[in-house]
Amino acid sequence: MKKGIKGFIALLILFSTLFIPAEPVLAEDGSALQRVQDAGVLVVGTSADFPPFEFYAVVDGERQVVGMDMMIAQKVADDLGVELQIQDIGFDSLLPALEARNVDVVIAGMTPTAERRRSVDFSDIYFQTFQNIMIRAEDEDVYDSLESLSGLTVGVQSGSLQEDLAQQIPDAEIMSLTDLNDLLLALKTNRIEAIVMQGPNAEAHAGHDEDLHTFVGGFELDDDDQGSAIAFRQGEDSLVDAVNESLAEIEEQNLTEEYLAEAGEYMAQAELDEDGEEIEEGFIASYWEYFLDGTLITLLISASAVFFGLILGSLLALMRLSKVFLLKPLATAYVEFVRGTPLLIQVMFIYFASGMFFNLPALTAGIIAVSLNSGAYIAEIIRSGINSVNKGQDEAARSLGMSKNDSMRYIVFPQALKNIWPALGNEFITIIKESSIVSVIGVGELIFQTRVVRSISFQGILPLFITMLIYFALTFSLTKLLNFYEGRMNHD
Amino acid sequence: MIKVNHLKKSFGKNEVLKDINEEFSQGEVVVVIGPSGSGKSTFLRCLNLLEEPSDGEIVFEGTTLTGLNEKDLNQLRQKMGMVFQQFNLFPHKTAKQNLTIAPVKSKGVDKHQADQTAVKLLRQVGLGDKEDAYPASLSGGQQQRVAIARALAMDPDVMLFDEPTSALDPEMVGEVLKVMKDLAQSGMTMVVVTHEMGFAREVADRVLFMDDGYIVESGTPDMIFSNPKNERTQDFLSKVL
Ligand SMILES: Nc1ncnc2c1ncn2[C@@H]1O[C@H](COP(=O)(O)OP(=O)(O)O)[C@@H](O)[C@H]1O
Ligand SMILES: [Mg+2]
Repeated sequence: MKKGIKGFIALLILFSTLFIPAEPVLAEDGSALQRVQDAGVLVVGTSADFPPFEFYAVVDGERQVVGMDMMIAQKVADDLGVELQIQDIGFDSLLPALEARNVDVVIAGMTPTAERRRSVDFSDIYFQTFQNIMIRAEDEDVYDSLESLSGLTVGVQSGSLQEDLAQQIPDAEIMSLTDLNDLLLALKTNRIEAIVMQGPNAEAHAGHDEDLHTFVGGFELDDDDQGSAIAFRQGEDSLVDAVNESLAEIEEQNLTEEYLAEAGEYMAQAELDEDGEEIEEGFIASYWEYFLDGTLITLLISASAVFFGLILGSLLALMRLSKVFLLKPLATAYVEFVRGTPLLIQVMFIYFASGMFFNLPALTAGIIAVSLNSGAYIAEIIRSGINSVNKGQDEAARSLGMSKNDSMRYIVFPQALKNIWPALGNEFITIIKESSIVSVIGVGELIFQTRVVRSISFQGILPLFITMLIYFALTFSLTKLLNFYEGRMNHD
Repeated sequence: MIKVNHLKKSFGKNEVLKDINEEFSQGEVVVVIGPSGSGKSTFLRCLNLLEEPSDGEIVFEGTTLTGLNEKDLNQLRQKMGMVFQQFNLFPHKTAKQNLTIAPVKSKGVDKHQADQTAVKLLRQVGLGDKEDAYPASLSGGQQQRVAIARALAMDPDVMLFDEPTSALDPEMVGEVLKVMKDLAQSGMTMVVVTHEMGFAREVADRVLFMDDGYIVESGTPDMIFSNPKNERTQDFLSKVL
């Protein structure tokens, strides 16, 4: 499934490259560096669920992505003389976002594997790492080597280096998930026996959770597989060279140690309040802002999608009922295509494909995608509603001398609306729930914020439960509201 | 007032009206009878172009309707009221709103004045107390009377009725026929498709007998009912009388 999506993204990229003029891959004349400096900003893509490299923390009262990688990013930006802008995107989507020009570089503890080198370029390695096995603390005496895990179920993050390394565990059954927090939850709930994790990241988690234990895995590693590097689009050598200079300085002055120590402080802070005292307030008191932000964004996306979806849907429905040349087949093709493809792919397509031409913010791209999608479904609902109104109604109106438009507007449509009200209500509720898909392009809606809370609180289940309650509160109030209006329309 | 020349209408290969020539004059009440499927409804619906004729022309008050543009056609339709077998009241509007929506939205009549006319017309059809009732709460006979009032609210020059009592329970037929009789007496031009032979005999100036897409016979009620010339008319009447 995940492989399929990745394959599709690859295809998408391939397809989108048809639209842009082929750039000479090797002959580079400093234009990449120039472009960043002209823009005055370096856009860095990362996946902020990976302490101590990139994760969320409150800095001066504001939530930010922090961690060692982000400090490196800051240094690079400073050296280039530009501002730093961080975009938090799911790990799976980072390289597509890079190639689609949504970001300039990717700094995400990424290992420059041979496979990745085929599609992007990498900087020098800035951090040598090691690979760990994470297990439950209670199993500390049971599992101590790769061999001790043979034949058992082992979790890895999909699309990661660890996914390949796990093959070295004899006969292991491998479970790949996108989100590290889901893996940790699977481990704690005994669904898997171990996780292959990047060393410092595993230590960070084990250090904050007494139910977890980690040890160095003893994997056979290629040279390539042991470090983290910064990813660039192919052929942007001038930018790579400039960044490598900064990295060399970091190495010389041994800055990574300093950065890691600072990141450790931020991680400790997650459990301390501003005065450095341990947080004793409840979970909700500490994290309610994340949930509130996520809820507001979810509401914004849903409300926009309902609004634009209704306009688009009405238009499409009228087009499908019209006899004007080409309007009907066009609308039909649109509806069939949108209904026949997954929203997930539509969201990614709009975000990544648009990235090739202009900078469309992820939230805008998400709203557009969900609106275009719901428009197709609403069109079908409206069309069936209009067809459900007895033909005699329109004839009566026309026989009174009302125009086609007036008849539609005052007679047919209001009755159609009443007939389709329950189906529309269903669609609105679907929109609220499905809008969560835009989290894949890094829009900070409710599901996205839940992921953030899970990674900074080191809590697996409670955030899920709270999010479930919030969704239910939203959909339930909407149902009540719709029922109220349905009652008002009922004259039978 | 309405002149029909060589009217033909086909649905696909099915030719339903085959060369109809007819004229309705001002103030005339004409009843159309004939067996089911003979094309009576189609004929009536061609008069106000709810059905587009396949051939021939309809001339209304000097204007040829066939081939007229949408906007002018809408204007002229306002002068031709129509009452349907299934009432077709607007279920989301009250009785009064059923009467005011078209005058206000499509004729530009002042809302206040439309309300007054509506109240007056509802009283005229005996439903002065039902202004604010929704159609679903009215009986069939009451609904059809509202439908007649709704057509009258546009102040038409002619009224077309397509079997206005066929969907009614027998005890409600009388109240609707009474309203139609009053209307005829007030001088309204009317074309009525119906199986109510009593109404035809009593109210009609002229009766048309249709069969198989033709107007087979036309004459005063007396001529048609007492002394039908055509064999098919005789056959039909022997079955219904
Ligand atoms: N919209 C239509 N499409 C196809 N055939 C129709 C349509 N309306 C009427 N007809 C056909 O035309 C013929 C005459 O119908 P109609 O005018 O309703 O007859 P009547 O009203 O005399 O019973 C019937 O055979 C009917 O099936
Ligand atoms: Mg009929």
